[in-house]
Amino acid sequence: MELYLPIAEMSVHWLIILGMGAAIGFLSGLFGVGGGFLLTPLLIFYGVPSTIAVATTASHITASSISGALAQWRKRAVDLKMGLVMSAGGLAGTVFGVWLFGVMRRSGQMDLVVASSYVILLGTVGGLMLNESLAALRAVRSGAAASAARSGKHLWLHGLPFKMRFRQSRLYISVIPPVAIGFFVGVLSAIMGVGGGFVVVPAMIYLLRMPTNVVMGTSLFQIIIVTAATTILQATSNFAVDIVLALLLILGGVIGAQFGVRAGERLRGEQLRLLLALLVLAVAIRLLFGLVIEPSDLFSVATVTP
Amino acid sequence: MKRCVAALATLFLGLLPAHASEDLVSGLSQDTVEITSNYTGTDIVVFGAIEHPDDGGINDVIVVVRGPDATMTVRKKDRVAIIWLNRDQATLQGMPSYYYLASTRPLAAIAARDTLQRYGIGLANLTPAKIVSHHDPEPFRQALIHHKQLDGLYGETPAGVEFLSPTLFRVHVPVPATVSRGQYNAEVYLFRDGNVISAQSTPLFIDQTGLERRLYSFARTSPLSYGVSAVLMAMFLGWLSSVIFRRGN
Repeated sequence: MELYLPIAEMSVHWLIILGMGAAIGFLSGLFGVGGGFLLTPLLIFYGVPSTIAVATTASHITASSISGALAQWRKRAVDLKMGLVMSAGGLAGTVFGVWLFGVMRRSGQMDLVVASSYVILLGTVGGLMLNESLAALRAVRSGAAASAARSGKHLWLHGLPFKMRFRQSRLYISVIPPVAIGFFVGVLSAIMGVGGGFVVVPAMIYLLRMPTNVVMGTSLFQIIIVTAATTILQATSNFAVDIVLALLLILGGVIGAQFGVRAGERLRGEQLRLLLALLVLAVAIRLLFGLVIEPSDLFSVATVTP
Repeated sequence: MKRCVAALATLFLGLLPAHASEDLVSGLSQDTVEITSNYTGTDIVVFGAIEHPDDGGINDVIVVVRGPDATMTVRKKDRVAIIWLNRDQATLQGMPSYYYLASTRPLAAIAARDTLQRYGIGLANLTPAKIVSHHDPEPFRQALIHHKQLDGLYGETPAGVEFLSPTLFRVHVPVPATVSRGQYNAEVYLFRDGNVISAQSTPLFIDQTGLERRLYSFARTSPLSYGVSAVLMAMFLGWLSSVIFRRGN
């Protein structure tokens, strides 16, 4: 049955959207990522205007992050103080990103910026992950334990002023790096419709040196706040959130996620990371092709919102 | 809006011989199209009758359904280094958001080009009220018309007027799911020997109804509460799924 989306002003097949939500939910359950980086391009390929796709995906990520965050909260694995500091940066980044989003949309470079930031970010993250998971797999095969020990060294980041004690993370560091990371992710969330987990988690581990047991919970906490803010700002300044589309995606997503979690329990960590790396690289390459191959139609038409 | 229709009517009456409007009667199968949750597009029927078909000369009927005017930006991609990006653009104001034409014969056979141009009849004669561009605007205008045709929002069917009897005709007008809302006009022109001898315009309203209508106006009139509701809905569903899932284990 076709369903009419009141904000996107198009009709979609509800099963396809539900299936998309479920597939992304499955992957997010499997890999423990939000899946926004896959959902936004998928919606755009289906024909949803990129503005609506970016803005609506944010609310899907809020929903899919909630259950994970609640589970971590019960395990007391959320560094609330760190989460709030990062969210403060994240909110500023969201405001800036939504403003930037509006400017780009008016100048006609929206699609270019979305696609090229996806290519750069996914290419980098995917490449790093591929490299790391291959190294880990090789290490496992040769019998040596993968070395994760990298503490002790001090980065220049830790010499910055405005130090604050984060008891739960057992850190005494400057607030500048977490605020800056939060800001960066807020901008990404607003212009790409992603939660930014694939940036936040490595940043927490490698830059902030947070203990891994609080990384997942804290990043989810921060993602919820940032994507919720993105949803509200996109709704107020760009009128770009389609609640019917969001409902379908979320329903599919929460169901898919449960199967994803179960499937994930049967696969080893290194294999999972390898699969995710390949997936991320595939999306990046697909988007790169879209940028460099001559389009079949050079012209595009946009109706200026009255 | 009524005033607009009245103005249009006087415009037509002013252009035409005084008795001419009696030659043509037309109507619509429905005067409103309601966009509901399972709306996937529809067909409306424009029907009409020619009163004195045997006066001598060749009668032709052209039916035009026109949507509300919109401002549209057409962009052209260009290669910069290795990347294709939008470079040149033109903003076209006052182009119809929807345009469908059906006629008894190909337009060129019905009337001279300047007659058609005067009435804005035919896709080739659709011109914007204003174009803002630094370049030759013509390719942008053609690209817009081409794109709108691909989307099913512009169309021209030369044999789309179906005669049920020598006097009675009807036209099926496809209204796709992506139409914009607002006031549409169904214009029926009667041509005899290349001249318009009668014309009628009937308004048609396309609007969302029910839940869609309420959601759309909610999003537009109180965007903050709309955004907050979207977030609360997302949070509630996320929480609900975790509760259900925990019970399932």
